[in-house]
Amino acid sequence: MSTYKTIESSSASPMDKWEVQLRKGCLELAVLGCLWTGKLYGLEILRRLARDSDLDLSAGTVYPLLARLKADGLLESEWVEADTSHPRKYYRLTASGKRRAVEMAKAWSQFSATLQSLLSPLLKERTK
Amino acid sequence: MTTRTSSDSQIESYLGRVRTALSGLPEREIDDILRELRSHVVELADEEGGDAKAALQSLGDPLDLAKTYRSENQLTRAECSNSPLVILQGLRHANSSGWGRVLAAALFLFGYANVVTLWAAAIDKLFAPSRAGLWYTPGNLWSLVLVTSGNPPTGSRELLGWWLVPAAVVAGWVVRYLVDRIAQWWIRRYRLATTAAAGKNK
Repeated sequence: MSTYKTIESSSASPMDKWEVQLRKGCLELAVLGCLWTGKLYGLEILRRLARDSDLDLSAGTVYPLLARLKADGLLESEWVEADTSHPRKYYRLTASGKRRAVEMAKAWSQFSATLQSLLSPLLKERTK
Repeated sequence: MTTRTSSDSQIESYLGRVRTALSGLPEREIDDILRELRSHVVELADEEGGDAKAALQSLGDPLDLAKTYRSENQLTRAECSNSPLVILQGLRHANSSGWGRVLAAALFLFGYANVVTLWAAAIDKLFAPSRAGLWYTPGNLWSLVLVTSGNPPTGSRELLGWWLVPAAVVAGWVVRYLVDRIAQWWIRRYRLATTAAAGKNK
């Protein structure tokens, strides 16, 4: 029934495993980034991740992660009685969450720029 | 109407299994988790014309989902706890292999065995000052031994005297601090490496 793939998946190719590790590494940053502009509820976060970050995650992955980020003090939540038939649990960044998001974004950006300069000759070679 | 009733029963059955598998966590936390999952499934089911099947599938197996919540909960508590039992439980969740779990628990317990030995030596010194101590046989560097019960080696002499009491108490605290911090570092390292479950492969 589970639709997500785990790192232990022995049938995955080395390239698949590498990509899974890469996505795992930036999952927390992506969730914090989603919430930078304001509060969102779980389903909105899932859809935003799929639309803007290419991280097509299962709900069973994201909800426990949100619970953990909240326990770590990076997120806070509130129940809102929506116009729909059910209430929604909205998440927003705490001050500590905002600091962490900025730190992670800077580290990611710096790392990505450094790696890009290392890889640019390789990518140029490929296009020849 | 029939689809709605059938979906409601699927949702309740799924959430019931998650609730059972989460037992042991604080009741308020369980209620909050289930309320959020219900909200997710109901919204998706409404979009699908009342069919909850796809929404429940997106959550995965209820036992796996509960396991992830429990594991995250144990790891979070272990990371900031001073209780050896809570840290030990966190270590159990911080290893993907059975051998890793056994090894981490064994090292942790070995560390705490040293703490107990040091504190036992400090207490024993108060009741049996001529026996308990740090004993050394002159000329043999490897003969240094901390005696808490039994007799010291023949020909050896005690090094610390009454200083053993504060020294053993402080050393016990230092060892305990180091064991706890190393275990919590290990747990944090595991969490960073396995942030929740992996993303779905595209």
